[in-house]
Amino acid sequence: MGIGDRPAGYRSAGGFLIEDLFATSQREGPVYADRHLVVTRTNNPPGLRFAGEIDITNSDAVAQSVRQAIADSGDPHLDLSRLSFCDISGIRALVEMAMGLDGGRTMLLHGLPKQLQEVMRVTGWSGLPSLVLCTCSGEAE
Amino acid sequence: MSERFRHEALFYGDRTEFLAGTVPFITAGIAEREPVLVVESRQKIDLLRDALGGQAEAVLFADMAQVGANPARIIPAWQDFVSERGAEGRRLRGIGEPIWNGRTPDELVECQRHESLLNVAFGDGQPWWLLCPYDTSQLDDEVLHEALRSHEYVMDARSNSTDSTVFRGIEGSGAPFDRPMRDLAPGSRGIAYDSETLLQMRRAVARFATSAGCGADRAKQLVTAVNEVATNSIIHGEGQGTLRMWRDGDAVIAELHDTGRYRSPLADRARPGASPGDPRGLWLANHICDLVQIRTFEHGTVVRLHMKVDPLHQLHVVSSAAN
Repeated sequence: MGIGDRPAGYRSAGGFLIEDLFATSQREGPVYADRHLVVTRTNNPPGLRFAGEIDITNSDAVAQSVRQAIADSGDPHLDLSRLSFCDISGIRALVEMAMGLDGGRTMLLHGLPKQLQEVMRVTGWSGLPSLVLCTCSGEAE
Repeated sequence: MSERFRHEALFYGDRTEFLAGTVPFITAGIAEREPVLVVESRQKIDLLRDALGGQAEAVLFADMAQVGANPARIIPAWQDFVSERGAEGRRLRGIGEPIWNGRTPDELVECQRHESLLNVAFGDGQPWWLLCPYDTSQLDDEVLHEALRSHEYVMDARSNSTDSTVFRGIEGSGAPFDRPMRDLAPGSRGIAYDSETLLQMRRAVARFATSAGCGADRAKQLVTAVNEVATNSIIHGEGQGTLRMWRDGDAVIAELHDTGRYRSPLADRARPGASPGDPRGLWLANHICDLVQIRTFEHGTVVRLHMKVDPLHQLHVVSSAAN
């Protein structure tokens, strides 16, 4: 389903308007967007911001778009502070992306919600060398 | 001891018989330099420490109330013990008492299933000896009979071992579990879910959990667990299923019904490996929820997830009502 199918003023569980994000992402060009999730580029640090929800219905498509977006050199920074839900298929997609990075690159996750940190620990996905949880404060721009 | 896993019930009637059965078992293990892990209640651990004196130093203890609150977490704990302490096929001993008077009826059934699944998890593996005490003064005859079905051997308080003539065997222990679940009050309408409505289903779970008294964290955890089971329905259960929810005592119960079948009897308690593709949903559900009940029928699977509402939240409700 395309982004044009969103109900007007759709408010995500995070409490912000997808409309606003949609307007921003349209100027910059979203890396990925569907009814439940928008992924936009951030400049400082260079990376991507996730807003909305990832589950089995969009994790494959998200992974495909994000993999292309982070294909350039450098360590990708992912701002997940506005990711209000992410299931195991979504975490699996992030893990596989990190494991697939070439040339010793590292994926840095910013603002990973506490509950997702717990899910990663319980499911044996903590401590991957190419996936680093960044606890620094401040949002990406 | 035998050259394979030995799963043995110990029937005891009082504290003296408990010690008469367990202490010689432990000290014989220590004498053979076998690692020994005792998973018992705090009271029984204190009792054993006193009886063992200095020898208690050589024994590992763990609180069954923590390890086995959800009985599906006990097999992974034994697997950790065997893999960490039993290198190169070293023999080990364990004592585990998962069933006591005070388990809820749902917990009891899942503990009994756990006792059978131990045979599946370890039956073909390295030799170690697990002794499971059963308090004959507190437990019903049916519970004791079921212990004879799930254990190959039974020991009395004089340390006499005999074969259980009604042991159901390793294969029988892993047979699809289709025992009917407890009847719950009618009233919860079924919510059909598929890939198109998964997000709305999550919203419905969050609303129900919150209105039933779960705090934000617990509600989110229940949403996560329900979503993983529903995802299994979507992938393996013809793409859809039905969800029902209840407030039951101090817990919320979410029941998911689909037409798929779990092939492995240990599917919900197999620790995920390093491969990202390994299944993790049921494992996660067992670590989030207070109890997970899985039933496999000829035409489908029913999963019940139990989540206790926050004790603090309940207190809060009481105090605000008093004001």
